[in-house]
Amino acid sequence: MTTSGPILSLVGLTRRFGEIAAVDDIDLEILDGEFFTIVGPSGSGKSTLIRILAGLERVDSGAVLLRGRAITDVPANKRPTAMVFQSLALFNHKTVGENIEFAPKMRGVDPAARRARALELMDLVRLPEAYYARPVTRCSGGERQRVALARALASDPEILFFDEPLSAIDYRLRKMLEVELKDLHRETGKTFIYITHSLEEAMVMSDRIGIMRAGRLVQIGPPLEIYQQPRSRFVAEFMGEVNVLRASEFGVAGEGWLVVRPEQLRPLAPGEAADVVFEARIVNDYLLGSRKQFHARADERMLIGEIAVAAASVPGPGEPVRLGFDLGDAVRVAE
Amino acid sequence: MRQRVSPGLLAMLPVMALILVGFALPILLVLLYSLMPPRTFSLAGEPTLANYWAAVTEGYLLPLGWSLLLAGLTTLLCLVLAWPTAKALVRFAGRFATLATILIALPIFISESVRLFGTALFMMPGGGIFAGSLNALFGLKIGSILYTRTATLLGMVYIHFPFMLFPMVLGLSLVPQDQIEAACDLGARPFQVFREIELPLALPGITVGTLLTFVLSLGANAEAAILGGQAVIVITKAIEQRFGYAQDWPSGAALTVLVILVTAAVIFPVLRRLDLDRLIRR
Repeated sequence: MTTSGPILSLVGLTRRFGEIAAVDDIDLEILDGEFFTIVGPSGSGKSTLIRILAGLERVDSGAVLLRGRAITDVPANKRPTAMVFQSLALFNHKTVGENIEFAPKMRGVDPAARRARALELMDLVRLPEAYYARPVTRCSGGERQRVALARALASDPEILFFDEPLSAIDYRLRKMLEVELKDLHRETGKTFIYITHSLEEAMVMSDRIGIMRAGRLVQIGPPLEIYQQPRSRFVAEFMGEVNVLRASEFGVAGEGWLVVRPEQLRPLAPGEAADVVFEARIVNDYLLGSRKQFHARADERMLIGEIAVAAASVPGPGEPVRLGFDLGDAVRVAE
Repeated sequence: MRQRVSPGLLAMLPVMALILVGFALPILLVLLYSLMPPRTFSLAGEPTLANYWAAVTEGYLLPLGWSLLLAGLTTLLCLVLAWPTAKALVRFAGRFATLATILIALPIFISESVRLFGTALFMMPGGGIFAGSLNALFGLKIGSILYTRTATLLGMVYIHFPFMLFPMVLGLSLVPQDQIEAACDLGARPFQVFREIELPLALPGITVGTLLTFVLSLGANAEAAILGGQAVIVITKAIEQRFGYAQDWPSGAALTVLVILVTAAVIFPVLRRLDLDRLIRR
C-alpha cells in the first residue's frame, strides 16, 4: 500500500431525498492506494454515497475533491473512476471481450491495442482466453464477476468503486473472490472503495473501514481497531453478537455501556474469581468449528459466550454455570 | 373417429378459418383478377400479363413512387420525433407518463377522417383556426399549407405517430437503467450510450414501430385526399380509381399486387432478422 496523501476528499457531503438525508454532512479523506470499505445496514446511505463519488448521483451540498481538485459537478463519464455495480450491469448484448473493451473503445483506442489490453486483464482476473468471444449471458455467476471487474479495470481508473458486487454470490465463491480482490488490490496498487453490509467481508479485505449509519460515518479506522474499540453500541453490535451491559449496574461510574465480546465471557471453575460474575443457566449451544458458542440466561438477562472446544467443557443446555468477565476486557461506550 | 386431434390444432381452427376466408381468399381473388384481360369482370378469361405491362408503362409508377416517398418520409419523421418522446416517457416522466400515454393514445379511438378534417379546418387559409386566430388576435395574415404535399406529409406523421411511439416505448423500456449508468461510468458520451446501449437494446421495438408505420403509411390515402387536395395522387387512390371510376378491375388488381410485392420486399428481409420473442418475453 502506498500512502501519499488523500486521493479523494469528501467535504460536508449531503444528499437529501425529501425529508431524509441519505448522506448527511460527511467528511472523509481516502488515501492513495487504500482499500477503504464503507459498511452499513441497508438504508444507511452507503449506496447513495458511492454513487455520488462515481458521479451518478448529484449532491445537495458539499464537495468531492480528487487530489485537491473539485470534481463535484463533473459527470460520471469524465471522472477517472470506474464502478463495479451490485447488479454488475454487464452489457448482455455484447461478448466478454466487447464488455471489457468498452471503455477503451469509447476513448478511441484502436482494436488491436484494445484486444491486447482485454486479454491482459482477463489473465489478471483469471478468465481463460477462450472466453473472449463468448456472450456474457453464457457465463456463470463467478465469471460474470470477473468480467465486470476486468471491464472496470480496462478504463484504467484511478479509483475503483464496488457497490456490494459479491452480495448475491454463494458463500464459498464469495470467500474466494474476496481473497482475489485483495490480491488484485495489491497487484494494481489502485485505490479501492468498497461498499458492503457485511462487516466480515470488510474485515478480510480492507485497510480501513468506515461504519455508516443513517447517512453518517459513525466510526472510521483499521479493522482491528473497529473490532477491539467500538465507539458505540451500534458499531459493537454491528460487529457481531456481543453482550451490551449498562455500566452503572456493575459499579462503573458514569453513564454508558460495557461491551463484552463472547470470547471474553468465560465459564468459571469453582472458586475462580472475576470482576463480574453471573449465576446463569445454559439455554443453547452451537458448534462453530473449533469454537463453541453458548447462550445463557442469568435472571432476565441473556448472555452470549464463546469458548474453544478443546479448552474446557461447558455444561450442556439446561445446566447451571458460573460466567464471568474482567472489567479490563470490556469496552466502555458512551452511547 | 379413432384418430386423436391435438388440442392446439383444434384451438387454431377458428383463426385459421378467419385468415383463410378473410385474408388468403381475397388476395387470391385479386391475384386471379390481375391476370384477366383488361376491363373484364369474369375470372374465366384468358390469363394475360397485359395489366402489369400497362401498370408499368401507363404512368402508375409515379403514384407508387409518391406513396413510397411519403411512407418513407413519414417513417423517418416519426422515428426522429418518437425517440425523444419515448425516452421522456420511459426515463423522466414518472407518474406523468401514464397521463401522457393516454393523451397520445386517445385520438386513435376517433375516426381518422374526422381527425384529418379537424386538421384541415385548422390549416384553412384566412378563415382556418390557426390563420384566422392569428388574423383576429394579432392582425397577422399568413398563407396556408393546406392542399400541398407538405400538408399531406404532416397529416401522415400526425396519424401514424402513435404506431411508432408505442412499440418504441416498449423497446426502450427493455433497456436497463444500470447498463446506461455503467456505460456513462466507463466514459461513454451521450451519443455513444445511444449507439452502444440504447439503440441495440431497443431495436426490436424500433423495428416493429418502423414496420407498422411504413406499412400503414404506404396504404394511407385519406391524408392525401383530405389535406393534399389534388397536389399528390398516391397509389391507393389510383387503385381506388381503377376499381371504381374506371371500372377496370384487372388493372386495379394488378396495381394492388404490385404494392403487395413492394411492401413484401421491404418487410420480409427485416422480419427475418427481428427477434419478436425478445420483445414479448420481458
